[in-house]
Amino acid sequence: MSSIIIIAITAIVVLYLGLYKVKSALLPVSVLGLLGAAASLVCVWDKNISYFNDMLVFNNYAIAFSILLIATTILIFLLSGNYFEKISSNVAEYYTILLFALSGGVVMVSFQNMSMLFIGIEILSVSMYIMAGIKKTDSASNEAALKYFLMGSFATGILLFGIALIYGATGSFNLVQIAGKASEQPLLFYAGVIFMLIAMTFKVGVAPFHFWTPDVYQGAPTLVSSFMSTVVKTAGFAAFLRLFGSAFTSVPAIWTVTLVVMVVLTLLIGNITAAFQQNVKRMLAYSSISHAGYMLIAILLLGQASPNAILIYSVAYSIASVASFGVMVAVKEQKGSDDLSAFNGLGRTNPVLAFVMTVALCSLGGIPLTAGFFGKFYIFGVAIAANYTWLIAIAVLMAAVGIYYYFKVIIAMYLRESENSESIQLSLAYKFVLIFCIMITILLGIAPALITNIL
Amino acid sequence: MTLSILIFLPIAFMILVALLPSSLNHTFKYITLAVSIVQLIIAGFMYTHFNHSLPGVFNEQTFQFVEKHSWINLNLGTLGKLQIQYFLGVDGISIGLLILSAFVMAIAALASWEIKTNEKGYFCLFLLLNAAIMGVFSALDFFLFYIFYELMLLPLYFLIGIWGGARREYASIKFFLYTLLGSVFMLLVIIGLYFSVKDPVTGAHTFDMLSMMNPANYVQGSVFDIHSSTLLFGVSPRLLAFAVLFIAFAIKVPIVPLHTWLPDAHVEAPTPISIILAGVLLKIGGYGIIRICMGIFPDGAIYFSWVIGLIGVVSIIYGAMSALAASDLKRLIAYSSVSHMGFVLLGIASLTVEGISGAMFQMISHGVLSSMLFFLVGVIYNRVHDRDIANFRGLYSQMPTYSVFVFIAFFASLGLPGFSAFIAEAFSLIGAFNSNSIPRWMAVVGAVGILLGAAYFLWTLQRMFFGKTRFKGGEEWQSQLSDVNTREIIALSPMAVVALVLGIMPFLFFDMSNSAMVELVNSTLKSGSLHLETLSKLLN
Amino acid sequence: MLLLEQLPVNYAPVAFQFFVAVGFVVVTMLATHLIGPKRKTSDKLTPFESGVEVQGNARHPMSVKYFLVAILFVLFDVEVIFMYPWAVNFRELGILGMLEMFTFMIFLLLGFIYIIKKGALNWE
Repeated sequence: MSSIIIIAITAIVVLYLGLYKVKSALLPVSVLGLLGAAASLVCVWDKNISYFNDMLVFNNYAIAFSILLIATTILIFLLSGNYFEKISSNVAEYYTILLFALSGGVVMVSFQNMSMLFIGIEILSVSMYIMAGIKKTDSASNEAALKYFLMGSFATGILLFGIALIYGATGSFNLVQIAGKASEQPLLFYAGVIFMLIAMTFKVGVAPFHFWTPDVYQGAPTLVSSFMSTVVKTAGFAAFLRLFGSAFTSVPAIWTVTLVVMVVLTLLIGNITAAFQQNVKRMLAYSSISHAGYMLIAILLLGQASPNAILIYSVAYSIASVASFGVMVAVKEQKGSDDLSAFNGLGRTNPVLAFVMTVALCSLGGIPLTAGFFGKFYIFGVAIAANYTWLIAIAVLMAAVGIYYYFKVIIAMYLRESENSESIQLSLAYKFVLIFCIMITILLGIAPALITNIL
Repeated sequence: MTLSILIFLPIAFMILVALLPSSLNHTFKYITLAVSIVQLIIAGFMYTHFNHSLPGVFNEQTFQFVEKHSWINLNLGTLGKLQIQYFLGVDGISIGLLILSAFVMAIAALASWEIKTNEKGYFCLFLLLNAAIMGVFSALDFFLFYIFYELMLLPLYFLIGIWGGARREYASIKFFLYTLLGSVFMLLVIIGLYFSVKDPVTGAHTFDMLSMMNPANYVQGSVFDIHSSTLLFGVSPRLLAFAVLFIAFAIKVPIVPLHTWLPDAHVEAPTPISIILAGVLLKIGGYGIIRICMGIFPDGAIYFSWVIGLIGVVSIIYGAMSALAASDLKRLIAYSSVSHMGFVLLGIASLTVEGISGAMFQMISHGVLSSMLFFLVGVIYNRVHDRDIANFRGLYSQMPTYSVFVFIAFFASLGLPGFSAFIAEAFSLIGAFNSNSIPRWMAVVGAVGILLGAAYFLWTLQRMFFGKTRFKGGEEWQSQLSDVNTREIIALSPMAVVALVLGIMPFLFFDMSNSAMVELVNSTLKSGSLHLETLSKLLN
Repeated sequence: MLLLEQLPVNYAPVAFQFFVAVGFVVVTMLATHLIGPKRKTSDKLTPFESGVEVQGNARHPMSVKYFLVAILFVLFDVEVIFMYPWAVNFRELGILGMLEMFTFMIFLLLGFIYIIKKGALNWE
């Protein structure tokens, strides 16, 4: 709880710092606040504290995911450097809105009550609507914001309807009580479950509710896209699993079939469409859809291993995404484009950037000795143990397709010649974040036990 | 510790090379060569300390130079604990290939003198590849094996893709995707095996290959349990798993029709990488089939032996025919590799001691000879940047010493008695003749393949080396085509000597591998037919 | 449970109202379309505003000041609604409730100050 308060207060402090034109203090204060929030979470590890009549419960699950969200946000903030200053004069608002979004994310991973889930999702989503459209003069950004807002509010409506139906069926908002009364009003309850399933899959961008994802990711400023594909997605999945894992376990048959179809659709659409993209940002957007498909497998198989599987996958995916988006920002700044051709010859002109991108893409693709491999390995292992062999056969095939399109970027970087041979100058913080991400990716690839046994 | 040193020595020097400033470019090749020579010395040490009487194969106690440490422990909750071990060891199957790898890597390092651009990146990747290859041949934990197997892929991809010829991009991605597709499905089998097998000592699920080979370790009713009657896609999971693993490895071997990456990769790859590809990488396919496919799924080996034999024969004939039609010298040699590796499959399919020993020996022999052939192609390619057979004539009078080496390599490859390939092919064919599992005509057709081999090698000799000296590039080429220099002689001579020594004294290898082969064949036949019986009972 | 058993009967009025609503729209639209006299001239198709002819393009930027102020009003108005339930339960919530309300008011005030400082309320 104290972490949410710290994040919210940091956001307001940053807002006022911006008001009084103390621009140089924005980043340090935000990062310090986030570190404080993370520290306050570490202190309550294993304590299982609940707040406001069990509306929020900070168990280890919530703490682990909150720390992941905060850490990812810190990394993205460190990458921002003077990125925001270039697109707008209202820099403080960027930090503030992202911090507010983060506080929403923390609420989402720690809720125990459906109303808190709703509030968390709304805080996160409304902030993201603003962030998607923050480039006021850019029509792509406007389009992204409008699409995101319209479809997002529609999904929110469906979520609310689902919550209402479930409340009607069980008479409670509390996850534990809902699970106990699941069978009292089966018709209303199942309808509610399906509504909530639709809303949650929309929020995490799973096919067939994925249409907003590529447009929004491409239209939004790149760092905001990286925030969406990491923090927003992780929070969404953590909330998804928390909701379904504790409240709806007793009625799996009603939603597993739906979910299996969604997994297959997501994997196929995400990967195959990504393979045809010529724009790296759009490719990463589609690949993020496909990653949602893999994570969905862990939710499908609800079990003791699911939280761990989602956590490992999210950590690997978030860190690799931050690194790859970071490289993309740097490349776009120099070349003015994030098309595949902008990466041509990067291996020669900027060996460090190219290496970072290579490791990040290998991790996203699931090549051994990177964290991403263990993410996939863990999920596939759990699924095979549950006898979903054919589903995993599709997933593995799609993973191979994934490696194909990630390698298109690597091919461009190393095997193609670039027109200009200027190297890109990076700030110290930027280099630190990229190297840090790569180190973590490789470290977790060699010793995954560091994070796998904590939940 | 020996095996760990063998694997991690290149990695240590890779870090060193990566850290050294680029101004020391010219020293990198010496560092790499020194690493390879040290590895060769270690391999020699292992050869002399190898106990020939211990069979290995199935029993951990009879493996040598064993290292076993716990590496990754993951808690899968209700699914138990995931245990991955750092488990290395060698036996009669792997020792020969390990020594071959060290030898070929040293030759490839000598051939790397031709690399002139971005040396740092090249030698880093080269050393990484070296480590991965050593790891593949010594890993006894399936997961560790898989990691090394995949780790090998990336450096090779870049080595072909960056330092290759004109169509390198196409060739490298083709190579990469072919291998990758095989290996991702291999991963599925690995995970399936993991959930089926329990370590008899700790009771936890394990990736230990040796545990997987013992039917007693399988969990009752698990996917790959012999007594389980579950079907996957309408077939027995064990046979399906054998087929998947076989295809994954056979892509590497390569077999017709999954061989199309090989000519492209060879033609586009720089000489040292061609040497490594032909000399070591193709052997990983054969090694995987013998160690993993046969070891873990003996029932599949018997059940599919006819198909494997057929694929072997088709590869022999198809490879030889394509070699006859090839106009590019390097492509010719690449296709001859397809043909020669067909003997490996034929030998394996025979399921006899002679056949499998012949297959193993063919891998060693082909490793040495194909390295030599690719090195020889590299020699003329470096001088005139052309290797079309039609563009050269009468090379003998232009480059006499070079031609002598070519004669040795060609005659050795076409199976002249006294050279290693003769022994290898003879053993494979004897095995195929004596085999109960494959029909005799396969052996006969395989023998025809040797004839075809003689045809394309001799025809090439006739076209390129005899007659009046005439080159496409005229005077200019004449001045560029100088005879082999000292470095090249240093690299070529040991290969010629090894081919000859192994041809005259094949027991140098057979002594080492024999007990392992006997053990492998006997137990494969015994437990495999037992499994098949159980299976057919369950299905009826 | 009760609700479910009587499902079809209970929802009949709703369905009835739905059909009446839809029917009214359809009937009036059809009726006016069929009964009304039609005289089509070119003048009738031009944009028409209070008998004055159209000048210039309708799509050009205009001040959103009023819109902004209206939005801010709605925002603060809605926030103030929270005061009512607090006032009703003032006694039960006690001192803690008051502190929480004060915190809420401080946040609201901070937002208000931010808006003024940003110049959102400057009319000129």
